Amino acid sequence: MAASASAMVVTSRAELLSLFRSLLRTASKFSDFNIREYARRRTIDGFRENRHLSDPASVAAAFADGNSQLDIARRQVLVYSLYAPNVKSVMEIKYK
Amino acid sequence: MATALRIAVLRHIRIPVQALEGFRPASASWNLFRGQNRSLSSHGDEHLEREEVVERVLAVVKSFPKLDPSKVAADSHFQKDLGLDSLDGVEIVMALEEEFKLEIPDKEADKIDSCSVAIEYIFNHPMSG
Repeated sequence: MAASASAMVVTSRAELLSLFRSLLRTASKFSDFNIREYARRRTIDGFRENRHLSDPASVAAAFADGNSQLDIARRQVLVYSLYAPNVKSVMEIKYK
Repeated sequence: MATALRIAVLRHIRIPVQALEGFRPASASWNLFRGQNRSLSSHGDEHLEREEVVERVLAVVKSFPKLDPSKVAADSHFQKDLGLDSLDGVEIVMALEEEFKLEIPDKEADKIDSCSVAIEYIFNHPMSG
């Protein structure tokens, strides 16, 4: 039993939280307000959606998917930074 | 000839002792100024006051949409007192990072699970601004 459990890839809580944090950090780097907010929302929703996964295999699959999304997000931050909007979105203007 | 020239030249050259006298008070006050406890760091000398840290941390936590702002206190535990889960905790720590312009490493961020720990961490962080 112990052997089979260790043979399976068990994704730890810390790894998942670290992925969540990395995705949020990457999301906050997008230069465009709409994309930045979308990436943030999508990260939070994705983690909420999979909150009740208990089967280690499906957790590992979701984790792998999240990691590939993180790679895409990191690349896209770079690509979008080359085409950054030169005006802010009205949503970004803060009135104090 | 050479002696005569030397005397003639020396007669016209004056070492400006007066000017040096005038310079001294300025340098003394400069020393006084330097004598004060000035830090050499580039990010501003003033450190955040504790009350300000408490106030801003609580403001960030209260603005989190999922919780009731009236329940938030300086000693609230995110999960036990405020009913949040670990994902919400990460979101709050991210919001605090943004508020105080910090980047908290994962290991430290995992330990921040209540308002009091967050206040303590940010208050002791040299870069928080």
